[in-house]
Amino acid sequence: MAESPDDRRLELLQGTLDMLILRTLQWGPQHGHGIGQAIRTQSEDLLRVETGSLYPALHRLEKKGWLKAEWGVSEANQRAKYYRLTAAGKAQLLREQDRWSLLVEAIGRVMKVAPTGEE
Amino acid sequence: MAPGRRALDDEIRGHIAISIQERIERGEDPEAARLAAMKEFGNLLLTRESIESVWRPRWVETLFDFASDIRVAMRSLQHARGLAATVALMLALGIGANAAVFSVVRQVLFRPLVNRDAERLVYVRQKAPGLGSNNITFSMAEIRDLRAASTKLASFGDFSTLDFTLVGFGDPRVVKAGVVSGSYFEVMGLRPVLGRLIDANDDGAKAEPVAVLTHRFWTTALKRDASVVGRKIRLGSRIATVIGVLEPSLPWPADTELIANVVASPHHLGATMVMQRTHRMTELFGRLAPGATVAEARAELEAAHAVMMAQHPESYPASARTSLVVRPFRDQLTAPARNVLLMLLGAAGVVFAIACSNVANLVLARTVRRESELAVRAALGAGRGALRRMLLAESLVLCGTGAVLGVLLAQPLVGVVSRFAARFSVRALDVTVDPSLLWVGTGLALVAAVALAFVPRLPSSHATAAPRPAVAGLRITPGTGRRLQAFAVAQIALSFVLLCGAGVLLSALVAMQYAHTGYDMRRVLALDVPLPIEAYGKKAVDFFEETTRRIEALPGVEGVAISNFVPWRDAGIMGPGFRFTADGYDKVPGEEDPHGRLRIVSPGFFAVLGVPMLAGRDFDANDRADHEPVVIVSESVARQLFPNGNAIDHRMWWTDPYFGKPAPRRIVGIVADVDDENVVPGPALTVYHPLRQTPYGGRLFVHASGDPYALVAPVTKLIRGMNADQPVERPATLADVRGTVLAPERLNAFVLSGFAAVALLIAVVGVAGVLAFSVSARTREFGVRLALGSSRALVVRQVLVEGVLIATVGVAVGALGGFGLSRIGESYGHAPLALDWPLLGAAVLLIAAAVAASLVPAARASRVDVVQALRTE
Repeated sequence: MAESPDDRRLELLQGTLDMLILRTLQWGPQHGHGIGQAIRTQSEDLLRVETGSLYPALHRLEKKGWLKAEWGVSEANQRAKYYRLTAAGKAQLLREQDRWSLLVEAIGRVMKVAPTGEE
Repeated sequence: MAPGRRALDDEIRGHIAISIQERIERGEDPEAARLAAMKEFGNLLLTRESIESVWRPRWVETLFDFASDIRVAMRSLQHARGLAATVALMLALGIGANAAVFSVVRQVLFRPLVNRDAERLVYVRQKAPGLGSNNITFSMAEIRDLRAASTKLASFGDFSTLDFTLVGFGDPRVVKAGVVSGSYFEVMGLRPVLGRLIDANDDGAKAEPVAVLTHRFWTTALKRDASVVGRKIRLGSRIATVIGVLEPSLPWPADTELIANVVASPHHLGATMVMQRTHRMTELFGRLAPGATVAEARAELEAAHAVMMAQHPESYPASARTSLVVRPFRDQLTAPARNVLLMLLGAAGVVFAIACSNVANLVLARTVRRESELAVRAALGAGRGALRRMLLAESLVLCGTGAVLGVLLAQPLVGVVSRFAARFSVRALDVTVDPSLLWVGTGLALVAAVALAFVPRLPSSHATAAPRPAVAGLRITPGTGRRLQAFAVAQIALSFVLLCGAGVLLSALVAMQYAHTGYDMRRVLALDVPLPIEAYGKKAVDFFEETTRRIEALPGVEGVAISNFVPWRDAGIMGPGFRFTADGYDKVPGEEDPHGRLRIVSPGFFAVLGVPMLAGRDFDANDRADHEPVVIVSESVARQLFPNGNAIDHRMWWTDPYFGKPAPRRIVGIVADVDDENVVPGPALTVYHPLRQTPYGGRLFVHASGDPYALVAPVTKLIRGMNADQPVERPATLADVRGTVLAPERLNAFVLSGFAAVALLIAVVGVAGVLAFSVSARTREFGVRLALGSSRALVVRQVLVEGVLIATVGVAVGALGGFGLSRIGESYGHAPLALDWPLLGAAVLLIAAAVAASLVPAARASRVDVVQALRTE
């Protein structure tokens, strides 16, 4: 039986949401809905961000000065709040990317070591 | 910056609108698209709340958490309303008592005085322990000497008190007036609110008599009538002009209605006042010279005083051990109240400690009951901090309620306590309810809350890791049980100390109340019929004799007498007594002559007051100025000076310099001892002069056949009929006079008993609570015992024994503590505490109360349903 997308969906790793948001905004300003959709499509539907987590995260990043928010109008002529990466945000993104690659590599190494007893 | 609520709503609305649009573009039905978008978004309010919390500063966030903690705590306490009410009430008692006492203490001991630069003011007096007097005022001669020798005091102010008949403000009456020299107000640093005060221009025999009204007299009797300045009034024999009104100030050194200059008082210009070194009636104050300290002024004045004593040895007998005391004005005002107030503060502190330990007990018992609840919370991830915070929130709610009730309770209490303290220091007269109540209440509540939150033990991480089998009901660990009992013991011990204190005061009061005085207390009416001091003489005696004759003719009067002294009420006005001797009396060499009280009485005095004649005769109409001088002496005089019992017809004479040349007087009678100075009667060396030979009276005694007070109106009318300006004041039976004098003692005992009663009440509730808890914790045990054939009586007895045991240990601990306290007290000169009935009474009372408190839990233990109890196992 084929797995439905819902069954395959992944829990967001703690602490990664901020990085994902920053990354998404690298391509230009976007509103909350757009960011959520972008994470969803780019992860090929594996990651889905709840609005209950997304918006507090956006505001937290804005408070830290990594994002800047301004009102704009969407393609469909809807008034929406657009978030834009600041210089500090870009620097933060680089830091988080480095940390992330390090973490992935470290975990990957641990997981790839074959159990010696079974060789 | 933080976005407003509207901006957040806009943002969320925008999100949903975009989401709907996308869905419609994908071909969904608009209505279905809207529902799906809403559903996808989830809880709008929750999202908005969590966005808002991102922007809130940390402390606001903490506050929000705290508010929700408090809400949870209130909900949780709703399930334990009885406990919450008990706890809040106890804390209210503890906090209320402390806040009230503290507020009074603060205001009495630490509030600034109205006097300008009050810390530069000193009070000077003499003491003569050999005469049994620690506060002796000065004569003008002594003041002249001290003034001449002093450089460290820039100026001196003197104040003496005299009774004047005042005519000019309503009915003529006798008022207490201060007489001061021109420097007094300047030295005291007081200002007028109206007109001017007495100054140097009002000194000297040539000045006009003037008077300053005290603020209290002006506001109460004269209703703040501003036109009084310039008014002429009659003070005794002089006409004086009112020149001003003094600002509100303490009624001290005497509570007078007005203050006059020296020239207003003929007595102050007389030779006795001016020259007589032992005519001491003047209070002395000084203001320190710039740069001088109290210690320097003391050293200088003590030296001057020593010189003065050496120059006039006849006025300072060696046995009197006269010395000079110089102390800051403020200390003199508050010192008498200090010990009493500190005792009160101690009692209030003990009540608070008892209340807290009791509350701790109840809270502890409750946490044991909810151990499973706490364990579940811990298992669900509540950290120890969160659990503590929950407990803290609960105890804060309890203590906050207690504090609010306590502060409400404290407001009327401030009145009671300050009225009590006013007996000891005039500073307590104008104590008001002030904000210190609030902060003391809040502070105590916080202390209690934090202490209480740390009383219960939290489930240890070990316990949560291995949850014990789910048992219905509760388990009590031995540790908790012991802790409960320790708190109960502490309460009993503290209550015991308070009860003992109250018991000692009460027994002293009872002893005073029922002491045999030697007077006919209920049928004798005493009235003050004072004459101006210069009016005493033959005419005054004629007036008193005529008055006596006319009153005796009134219906319901059995006898009338005149004297110069109403027992107890006039205590102290004659000083510590005068030295006298008698022929045939050989004093031990090196010892002083005995001190005797001089009383002046009319014939019939002893019969009217019910004092038995033991030998000889009463005075009669022939004991006149032109006849042989005679006296009647009290039994103690007869026994001490004439051990062979032959006092009658011997002669005695006063040897005190006050009387000038010794004038022998024949002893014609002996009467039983009556102690008119002390409410607790002791032996009294009293010598009575006949009124005709020493013309000085002013006190009228009427022996009534019926209700003495029914005679007040006819007697007053009769005297006013003879002289419309004659004051007739303070009518009271001897029993009521004594009652009034005893009032402070009664108030003392009453206040401490109040504290002790509160403590006892709390302790009883505490013992009952501990036992009730221990019984409910042992329901199963009792069930098993009963099932195994134990009798119900045995179970009841066990609970009772536990109660008595707690009480006994508590009393023992309290007795040890009390013993230690009394040792400390002894080192400060208090009488050692004897093991007599107040202590035994307190012990019996506490143990009886413990038994009573154990009865309800014991009854419950005996009613344990065996089947039910076993089934829960």
